[in-house]
Amino acid sequence: MEIMETTTIIQKLESLLLVSVPRDLTDNDVLQLRRQVLRDIRRHNSRWVLLDFSLVDICDSFFGRFIHTTAQMAELMGAEVIISGLQDAVVETMVELGMTLPNIHAVLDLDDALALSRESQQASQAAGGQDPGEPLNPALAELGQADGESVDGDANSTFADLTKE
Amino acid sequence: MVEKDSNQVQFSIRSLMDVVRARRRGLEIALTMGFPHAEATKVAVVISELGRNIERYVGEGTITLTTHVGADKHIEIVVEDHGPGIADVDRVLAGGYSTSKGLGLGISGSRRLMDEFEIQSVVGEGTTIKAIKWLR
Repeated sequence: MEIMETTTIIQKLESLLLVSVPRDLTDNDVLQLRRQVLRDIRRHNSRWVLLDFSLVDICDSFFGRFIHTTAQMAELMGAEVIISGLQDAVVETMVELGMTLPNIHAVLDLDDALALSRESQQASQAAGGQDPGEPLNPALAELGQADGESVDGDANSTFADLTKE
Repeated sequence: MVEKDSNQVQFSIRSLMDVVRARRRGLEIALTMGFPHAEATKVAVVISELGRNIERYVGEGTITLTTHVGADKHIEIVVEDHGPGIADVDRVLAGGYSTSKGLGLGISGSRRLMDEFEIQSVVGEGTTIKAIKWLR
C-alpha cells in the first residue's frame, strides 16, 4: 500500500500565512503549491509566510530550489518567508548535499514564527509605520517595545545634532 | 542452510511519480536495514536526485537497490539509462554543470552523500551510476 500525501493546508494567523508542506510532492504539485501561496499572500495581505516542513522527510535539491524561489517571489509581493519544522535528518542531508538558503528565516516552531512576526510588527509601529513590511532585528524590536514613540524622536534629534556639527 | 544475504528491488523510472515512489521505498528499506535516520534520508535523496536526472534528460531508465545484510552491510544504488550519455564526467562530478535550471547539485551532491560513487558513461549509449553506503 502506498500513501501519497499531497494535500496542502494553508491557513491565516494574524499577519502569518501558515503553509503545511505535504510529504510527497511531484514537481507539478510543488509549482501549484507555490502559486497557491502567492495568491493567498495577496488575498490575506500576509506579511509573513511560514512554510512548515514537519511532514517532509525527503528534501532534494528541487525542493530546496522551491523554497528559495518561493521566498524570492513572496518578497516581491512584500512578504517574507520563514521556514520551520525541518527534521534533523533532513537538515543534515540538505547541508551535505550543498544546498544553501540565503535570506531565509528559520525558526523551530509556530510559537517562534509568531513571535518573530509580532516583534516585527511592533517595531514597525514604533518606527511610525514607515516600513511595515520589513522585519527588523529582534534587538530593534525590543527597543521599540520599551520606549514606544520616543525612540523614533530621539533617533531623529541625534541625527539632526550630528548634521549641525 | 544457506541464508540469503542480499536482496534486490528494481524500479523503472518514467515519471516523477516513479521517482517519488522509488525514493520512499529506498528510505523504508534503508531504515529497515538499520541505517540511522540521517543516513537513510541521504539514500532517499540520492535516489531522488539521480531519478530526476533520468526523468529530465533521458525519459526512461531503471533504479536498482541491492541490500547486503551479511558481514559487510551496505546498500547499493545502481541507476541505468540508455540516453545520450555524459560527455565530461569529471566536470559533472565537480558540480560545474548548470545545464538545466537546477543548482547543479544533482550528481556532485549525491556523490557527497554516499561512501562510494562511480559513473560509467558512453556518449550515445547511456550512463550507469553505482553508489554505495556502508552500514557501520
